[in-house]
Amino acid sequence: MKIVVLTKAAVPLSSAIRIDPKTGTLIREGVPLTVNIWDRDAVEFALRLKDRYGGEVIALSMAPPSGIPALESLIGMGVDRAILASDRAFAGADTWATAHVLAKTIEKYIPDYDLVVAGEETIDSTTAHIGAQTASWLGVPYIYYVYDAEVKGRTLVVRRFLEDEGVDEVYEVDMPAVISVLKGSQIPREVRLSRKLNAREYIQVVSNKELGLDPECVGLRGSPTLVAGMAPATYPPRKKVVIQGEPSEVVKKLVEILKSEGVV
Amino acid sequence: MPCRLWPPINKEDYRGVWVYLEREGDRLKDVGLELLGKARDLAQKLGGVEVAGVLVAGGEDLAREAIYHGADKVVIIDNPDLKIYTPAEYAEAIARVVQKYRPEIFLIGATKRGRELAAYIANTLATGITADCTALEIDPKTRDLLQIRPTFGGTQLATIRTPQRRPQMASVRPGVFPKPPRDPSRTGEIIVEKVEITKRRTRLVSIEKRLEKDIADLPPVESSDIVVAGGRGLGTAEGFKLLVELAKLLNGTVGASLMAVRAGWVPHTRQIGQTGKTIRPKLYIAVGISGAIQHLMGITEAKMIIAINPDPHAPIMENADYAVVGDYKQIIPMLIEELKRLKNQS
Ligand SMILES: Cc1cc2nc3c(=O)[nH]c(=O)nc-3n(C[C@H](O)[C@H](O)[C@H](O)COP(=O)(O)OP(=O)(O)OC[C@H]3O[C@@H](n4cnc5c(N)ncnc54)[C@H](O)[C@@H]3O)c2cc1C
Ligand SMILES: Cc1cc2nc3c(=O)[nH]c(=O)nc-3n(C[C@H](O)[C@H](O)[C@H](O)COP(=O)(O)OP(=O)(O)OC[C@H]3O[C@@H](n4cnc5c(N)ncnc54)[C@H](O)[C@@H]3O)c2cc1C
Repeated sequence: MKIVVLTKAAVPLSSAIRIDPKTGTLIREGVPLTVNIWDRDAVEFALRLKDRYGGEVIALSMAPPSGIPALESLIGMGVDRAILASDRAFAGADTWATAHVLAKTIEKYIPDYDLVVAGEETIDSTTAHIGAQTASWLGVPYIYYVYDAEVKGRTLVVRRFLEDEGVDEVYEVDMPAVISVLKGSQIPREVRLSRKLNAREYIQVVSNKELGLDPECVGLRGSPTLVAGMAPATYPPRKKVVIQGEPSEVVKKLVEILKSEGVV
Repeated sequence: MPCRLWPPINKEDYRGVWVYLEREGDRLKDVGLELLGKARDLAQKLGGVEVAGVLVAGGEDLAREAIYHGADKVVIIDNPDLKIYTPAEYAEAIARVVQKYRPEIFLIGATKRGRELAAYIANTLATGITADCTALEIDPKTRDLLQIRPTFGGTQLATIRTPQRRPQMASVRPGVFPKPPRDPSRTGEIIVEKVEITKRRTRLVSIEKRLEKDIADLPPVESSDIVVAGGRGLGTAEGFKLLVELAKLLNGTVGASLMAVRAGWVPHTRQIGQTGKTIRPKLYIAVGISGAIQHLMGITEAKMIIAINPDPHAPIMENADYAVVGDYKQIIPMLIEELKRLKNQS
C-alpha cells in the first residue's frame, strides 16, 4: 500500500507570530518550523497501516526550506521518504492554492498512491480545508475524523467519530481516497535518533521548475481569498464591578444581582 | 491575469445569499437557522436580494421550517441515494445546485459535517472559502463579503475577501449568530431539484451513538441561557458537583475551560473557547477560570459575566461585569443554600 501523509511545517505556538504587513499572511520564512502537532496523529496512523499491510509511507509538505527539519523528524518516526514542495512562488497561498500544489505534486511524483492521509487541522490556522480540497483536486472520495481503518481489497473500511453529535460511524471508501485523522486519537511513536541522523538523504525537494504549475495559480496570486486587513481583537466593555468582603456579604450581593437580572 | 484554472465569471450573474441547511435525522440543526438570520441581514445590505436554503433529501416540513426562520426559497435536493449522509456525494450534489442558481454568497455551519463538506464544495466551484468566521459584513462599494475570523489565538481579527470569485463562501461555528424568531406566517417557495451524482464511492456501514459519560443530564452549553463554568481552580472533580448543583438551581447548565476538560472532570463537548464552543448566554458564571484569551473568545457575546476567583488580577476579572474576589469553596455552597431557601419561600 502506498500512503501519502500530508504534513504542515507549522509555526509553533510558543514562537512569536509575524505577519507580512503587505499581504496579511503568516511569515514562515526564517522561523523554526515544527510538524503541526495533529499531523503526528496522521503519521502514526499511516505507519500503523504500513505495519499491518506493508508498503511505503511518503510524507509531503509545502513549505519554505525551513520546513526541512520537520520532515527530518518524520523520517525519524519511520516515514520512508519525504517530498518538500518549495518555491518562492508558493508563498502566501490560501488553502485552494496550497491543496493545488499538494495534489499536483502527488499526481506527478506518487501517481500510484492508494491513500492520502491528512491531519484534522493545523494549530496555526485551523481551517481543516486541505484534506477536502486535496480530494477535490485529485477527484477522489474522502472522509474526515478517522481513528481506525482496515483494508478490504480496494476499499478502506474506516471508523470515525463526530464529536458534536457524539456518534461513531463506519464507512467504506473506495481507494484511492483521502482521509483526515481525528486529532489526539493516536499515540505517535518516538523519533529514533539513528534514523534521523541521515534523514536528509530521504528528502526530495521539488520546486516549481519541476512541477511546472502556472505561476498565476499558486501562492498569493493563485489564491481566491485575500487577507484584506488584520486588526487587534477588541472585546465588548464590561461593568467590572468588584465584589469582595465577608463570604456572607458577597453571597447577599450576588443574590441581589441575580434577582435584578430576573435569574431568580 | 487571473489563474486560468478559474473559469471566467461575470459577478453580476451572481445574486442572493444562500445557506446550507444541515439535517440531523428528521430535524434541522440550529446552525442553519442561525445563518438564515445572518443571511437576511446581509441580503438587506445587498439591496434586498433573495435568501435561500439548500437542503439535501429533506421533507417539505423542514423546508417550511427554514422559511419560517427567514428563507424566501428552499431548494430540496431530491435523490434517494442521498438519504444517508456521505461527504463526497453530498458535497458534489450541493455544489451542483449552487452552480445552477449562482448565489453571490454561500454560508455553511462549521459543524463537524459542515467542516468536512465546505472546502470540497468551494473547490468544486473554483472559489475561496474562509473558515470559522465570527462576523460577516458587506462592503457596499464592491458588494464583497467581508469574512472576519479570529486568528493567532484570538488576539487578531483577520478580514478576508474573495474579490474575484463567486460565490463567496464562509463557514461559521454554531452559536455565533442568534437564531431568528420563528414566524409561521412567513411564506416562501419550495423547489425540488433532482440531482444526479457520479458513481457512489463512499458508503455508510453503521452509525451508533457513543455513550459518553457526561457529568449530569444537563442541556448542552450552546442552548442554555445560563452557563456555570469551571476551570482548573476548582482543584477536584468534587468541585464540579457544586457547579452542577448551582446550575440546576438556576435552570442552566455547566461548561468548562480547556484545563478542566484536560483534567477529565468534564467531557470536551462542554469546553468553552477558541477550540471549544462559542456561546451567547444571558449569564455566564466563571468559577476558577483565569480568563485566557482563548477562553474569552467563546464568551464575548455573553450578556453578563460573573467571575469568582481569589486573584483580583486574573484576566477574567477585567472581563467580567461582576468580579467576585474569593474562594469558590466558601462562596458557592453558601450561594446554593441561599437559592434553595428562596425557592422554598416561593
Ligand atoms: C491566521 C490565518 C488564517 C487563515 N485563514 C484562511 C482561510 O480562512 N481560508 C483560506 O483559504 N486560507 C486561510 N489561510 C491560509 C492557510 O492557512 C494556508 O493555505 C495553509 O497552508 C493551509 O491551511 P491550514 O493551515 O488551515 O491547514 P488545514 O486545512 O487546517 O490542515 C489540515 C491538514 O492538511 C495538511 N496540510 C495543511 N497545510 C499543509 C501544507 N502546507 N503542506 C502539507 N500538508 C498540509 C496537514 O495534514 C493538516 O493537518 C489562513 C492563514 C492564516 C495564517
Ligand atoms: C491553540 C490554543 C487553543 C486553546 N483553546 C482553549 C479553549 O477553547 N478554551 C479554554 O478554556 N482554553 C483554551 N486554551 C488554553 C488557555 O490558554 C488556558 O490555558 C486555559 O483556558 C486555562 O484554564 P483555566 O482558566 O481553567 O486554568 P488556569 O489558567 O490555571 O486558571 C485557574 C484559575 O483558578 C483560580 N483559582 C484557584 N483557586 C481557586 C478557588 N479556590 N476558587 C476560585 N478560583 C480559584 C486561579 O486564581 C486561576 O485564575 C487554548 C490554548 C491554546 C494554545
